[in-house]
Amino acid sequence: MADLAEIQQMIEAALPGAEVEVADETGTADHLRATVSAPQFKGLSRLDQHRMVKAAVKPRFDDGAIHALSLKTEPLG
Amino acid sequence: MADAELKQKVEELIAANPVLLFMKGTPEAPRCGFSMRVVQVLDSMDAEYGAIDVLPALQPLREVTTEISDWQTFPQLYVNGELLGGADIVEEMFDSGELAEALGVEQPEAVSAPAGPPAQSPPLQIE
Repeated sequence: MADLAEIQQMIEAALPGAEVEVADETGTADHLRATVSAPQFKGLSRLDQHRMVKAAVKPRFDDGAIHALSLKTEPLG
Repeated sequence: MADAELKQKVEELIAANPVLLFMKGTPEAPRCGFSMRVVQVLDSMDAEYGAIDVLPALQPLREVTTEISDWQTFPQLYVNGELLGGADIVEEMFDSGELAEALGVEQPEAVSAPAGPPAQSPPLQIE
């Protein structure tokens, strides 16, 4: 079970200037959905954009707080 | 550090199968919603693909794909030897028509709710 606000902060800290929304998909706070628009994504493939977000929240995957994170990413600006 | 023998096997499978899906469960009986979504997309396009059930060796395969593609979660769809993405990216590319282009198939007219019996591929085994 994850703290959605903390997940959002972790993504924002890794991607300064990003617009981040995190939602609970299942009501159990372990299957999350995030929409991330970040200036850092410009010129990157979707794979690399997803890799950056997943890396930012990796500690919460590793400790089992999150089981799944559905992502929609796009360059900002 | 991934198991070298398994890594080689996976690399051979990716090279030998133009479209290869690593998934939880089988196309006939997906064991995870994300895997099921990718199967539905591929079946709606009548795409031919190989499928590997990762569940019998989840952690070793996770270590292998981390080394090969820097990607830890399943499903993973490989096209012509390259990782295309997981469920989110595959669905986005389907909606935009990029997936049809990558697979060299026609974009189905109905963009959602695939109908009809799934195109079935024999499951591949990792010994």
